Parts: sequence; structure tokens; C-alpha cells
Amino acid sequence: MRASHVIAFTKRTLHQFRHDRRTLAFIIVVPLLMILIFGYTFSGEVRHVNVVVVCEDTGLNTTLFPYFPDKNFNLSRSILEQIDTEVLAVTYYSELSTAERAVEEGNAWAVIYFNQNFTNEFAGGISGKNTSANIKLILDGSNPTITAAIMKEIGEAAGRALESAKMKSQSPVSITQDYIYGSADTRFIDYFAPGVMSFAVMMVTTMLTIILFVNERRNGTLHRVLATPAHPVEVVLGYAIAFGIICICQSIVILAAGILIFGIKVVGNLFLAFLVFFLIGTGHQGLGILLSAGAKNELQAIQFIPFIIFPSVLLAGLFWPVESIPAILQPLAYFIPLRYGIDAERGIMVRGWGLEHVWMQICVLAIFAVATIAGSSMLLNKKE
Amino acid sequence: MDAIRAERITKKFGDFVALNNVEFRMKKGEILGLLGPNGAGKTTLVKILNGIMKPTSGRVSVLGCDPLERKMRHRIGYMPQETALYLDNTVHENIMFFGELYGLSKDKILKREKELLAFTNLEKWRNVIVANLSGGMRHRLSLACALVHEPELLFLDEPTVGVDPELRTAFWEYFYRMQKDGVSILLTTHYMEEAAKCTMLALMRSGKIIAQGTPADLMAKTSATTLEDVFLKIGKVMER
Repeated sequence: MRASHVIAFTKRTLHQFRHDRRTLAFIIVVPLLMILIFGYTFSGEVRHVNVVVVCEDTGLNTTLFPYFPDKNFNLSRSILEQIDTEVLAVTYYSELSTAERAVEEGNAWAVIYFNQNFTNEFAGGISGKNTSANIKLILDGSNPTITAAIMKEIGEAAGRALESAKMKSQSPVSITQDYIYGSADTRFIDYFAPGVMSFAVMMVTTMLTIILFVNERRNGTLHRVLATPAHPVEVVLGYAIAFGIICICQSIVILAAGILIFGIKVVGNLFLAFLVFFLIGTGHQGLGILLSAGAKNELQAIQFIPFIIFPSVLLAGLFWPVESIPAILQPLAYFIPLRYGIDAERGIMVRGWGLEHVWMQICVLAIFAVATIAGSSMLLNKKE
Repeated sequence: MDAIRAERITKKFGDFVALNNVEFRMKKGEILGLLGPNGAGKTTLVKILNGIMKPTSGRVSVLGCDPLERKMRHRIGYMPQETALYLDNTVHENIMFFGELYGLSKDKILKREKELLAFTNLEKWRNVIVANLSGGMRHRLSLACALVHEPELLFLDEPTVGVDPELRTAFWEYFYRMQKDGVSILLTTHYMEEAAKCTMLALMRSGKIIAQGTPADLMAKTSATTLEDVFLKIGKVMER
């Protein structure tokens, strides 16, 4: 194998994209548009969620707690005062049953229920009795993003209420939230961006390779190249390196734009992140060559798109975690290389993971890349 | 010394027999014209001779080597029937690319590029993207790409289709000049007046070579006055 042959292919491909400004714009603009549209429409920062509050809390019973500092203390009222009305649009109901019907009929996403002893149970808890205050949520759980938003807002409101009553240290209210990764202000878009970038790398390389190779076959350039001393492995490697470089450049621009425009937070090692993008790119480039053998023209090449996009969008954990897809489909997710890419990029960029956590994903992607490059070289080497 | 020797070559695509027991020889330094109607098997034969396709059976020797060997490829030049250029790259980038695949140094490629662009009249278009060139210009560039590494043996599949008469004459002058330098050329063509310019002809029909000889020989043998006649007469003999 000769490096000069490989470099010749890489150089030619990069030159081609240098001339094709529109394709260059496409591979940058589309992922950014996806981050913008999906990131905000799917984002955890949902707004104006209709909820119904039923508050039976009668406040502090001063005969039970004569020494409580604030005689007019009413915890449910202070929590309700702390709710951000931008996030939750609150309607008050007096009857729990009518409130539940509002959820049943789709007019509200949740009932937030405080029982009549809510404050007393809290007061009991902090006075050493074995009681704890419980906020009961009756949810329409059909949209997990909204559920999460409600949980988050109630939890935060309770936290703020306790803080303003200077009782934070002993708060026995049974909504607690702990963050291991991210923070209270991690937004869906921060979580979503690494996934979209991985997806963009995969889409761009697979589609462009299929189309490039369909053209190589149709224009006769492939025959001409195979009549030169160049070995098919050199053809494939040259292309793979070109696409790896394109993927890294694409990721750098998208990441920079994501940070500048959307304020995406990245905590991990960027070098590792780009290595993963390179592997996603080279692996899918090989896959593209293999698929191109099944297409006679560009129209047929485009027909591959749904087969590539849907499994990756739905099963690779782009929008929702692989754990939450139906159990029957979960085994399929193991066979989707993008899944490992998205896993690794999220781990690296959102959680700040290093090689010790993502080595397995990197190995899978590397094996995928070697396999598709070897496979496509063999395909090109096969003579009619 | 033979430039090409093909013994009993058969090529099948499924049930279709594209080449049927072809026996074929070409001496070094010849310009051999492969003639025949569409579908006669000319392009398939050329692809087998330059190692892109494998014959189903039979033996091929090109410049004394097996054309499937990559090591001997730099001695061969190939201009396919399709334009076979990278349309989204410039003229210069296409020449550089093929030069590099044939293992030439950058200086050497630049020197050859200058000569070839002068001969094909493409100097002005050096930095233009191929997609923006006319069909004839692409054809000239395709020929330039086949010549960049100064091959000993050239395969030209319909090299002058869509080339204007003036340029066609220029092409032929160049072919003769290369022949003088010892280059062997095998070309396929439909044009009878072009066939007359070849030093040797091979007539193909239905996957077989039905006659081979110099243009004068063939005319004498069939007592025809034009090559067109030769072709028609031999064809009729075949049908009987």
C-alpha cells in the first residue's frame, strides 16, 4: 500500500468539497437548524404547562406546635407562591375529584395536591416527630419531558419556599432532587447537541458517500481509477480520511456555533470528542460504499435515506434514552453503530467522562470502521 | 514482440455471452482499430485487456504481463468511453490526481500538464471546474488524463466521439507522433474514415473477431473499394 495513493484520493475529495460551497453550507447549517428546532421544541424548558392545584392544607395548628416561630406558617401557600408561573400555569380547584377529571379530559397535565395536614406534618418532622410532608402529584405521564418539567418546578419551588422560611437544613418534604451529572440548569439542548452532532456526522458521511460512489460508478471514474496502479484499499482509505477530516471540521464549526448561539455547555475532553466523530465518520463512509453497490443512480441512492435515518433517530437514543424504547426493539439498538457514538459523545461532552468510561463505545466504533473499510475494499476489489 | 495476446477469451454475463472464444494479437507499435456495431463486445474486450474485468475463461497477456497485476498498470493508459472525470474538480486537479495515482512526482506532473494542456487546447481552462466545460473539452481532458504518465500502451474507447473534425485531425497527428515514439495504441471506433487511419484493424461482431488485417489487406481480400463495404460484406458472409 502506498501512502501517496491514499493522499491523492483524500486531496481530490477535499478539493471537490472546497469547490462545492453549497454542500459545505448544507453539512453545517442542517445540524444547527436541527439543534435549534429540536433542541427548543423538545427541550425540558417547556412553558405554560397547565396544572391544577388542590390545596386542603389548613396551615399550622398552633395548639399542636406552640413553640413554632411563625404562628401563621403555611408551607403549601409558600410553595405555591414560589412556583414560576412562566413554567406552570396554575388553576385552583377545591375538589380533588374535579381536578382529577381535568387531567382525565386532557385539560391539565397534573394535579398538585396538598393534604390538610401538610404543614403540620412538615412541622412535626422538623420538631422531631416521625412525620413528613408529602406533595402528591397526579400526572398525565404521556409526555416525559413535561412530567420532568413539572417535577423539576415543584421541587425547585419547595426548595425556594423552605429557603425563604430559613428551614432548608431540615426540610422533610418528600420531593428531593439530586444531580450527579449536569446541574439544575442543564437544558435539554445541552444534552441534545452531542446527539445531533453525532447524527449529523453519520448522515452526512453515509449520504454523501453513497451519492459520490454512485457517481463514481456511473461516470466511469471508478473503472478508470481501478485501471491505475492504485489498490482499492487505498481508494477507500483515501476517502475515509477525507470524510474523517470533513467530519471533524463540521463538528468544530457546529460546536463553536452551538456554544456561541445556543450557549451549549461542554465539560469534557474535546480531543476525545473529535476522535469519536472521526470514527463515526469513517465507519459510515465504509457503510456508504457498501450501500452504494445496491444503487444504480442517485434516485435509488436517496431511497436508502429512510432505512438509515429512522433506525438511527428512533433507536440510537437521539431523542429518548435507549432504555425507554419498547423491550422488543431494544436488542436492535445494539446493532446501530450510531448508538455507541451518541452514548460516547454525551458521556464526554455532558458528563465530562474520559476514556475510562467510553473505551467500550470507542472500541465498537473502531471495529465498525475497520469492518466497513475492509468490506468496501473487498467489494471494490471484486472484478466482474 | 506482441503488445497484446489474447487466447480463447470468453466472457459471460449470466446467460449472455459478450465475448465468444476471442483470439487476438496486437504487435508493438501498432495503431489497432477495433471496429464493430454496438454490442459487438468491443468495450468488454478493452476492459478485460486493461484488467478491469476478468474473463470467464481464456488467457490474456499484455506487455508480457497479466493485466490483473497492479505493478504493470503504470505502463498502460486508459481512456474509457464515458468521460470518467471528476466533474466537481478542476482540470488541474483531475490531472494531478491521475498523475499521483501513477506515482509521478509533482514536478513531473506539472511538466506533463503543460504539454498536454497545450496539445488539447485547454490551457485557458486549467482552473475551471470540469462540470462547467463543454462535452468536447471534457473529452480532450479525458485523453490528457490517460496520457499523463506516458504509457507504452494506450487503450482508447471511442476517443473521438463528439470531437470536432479539426481537433480530430489534431488527435490523429498526436497518435502518429506517439506511435513513432514506440507507443502502441488500441482504439475502438464507429467511424470508417477513422478506421482507414489505423495500421491494423480487427472487426468484431456478436462477441467474435471476424476479421483482422491492415485496411488495404481487408479491402483486397473482400475486393471492396471502401472499408464500409468490407464491413458489410464480411457481415453478410457471417450471416450465411
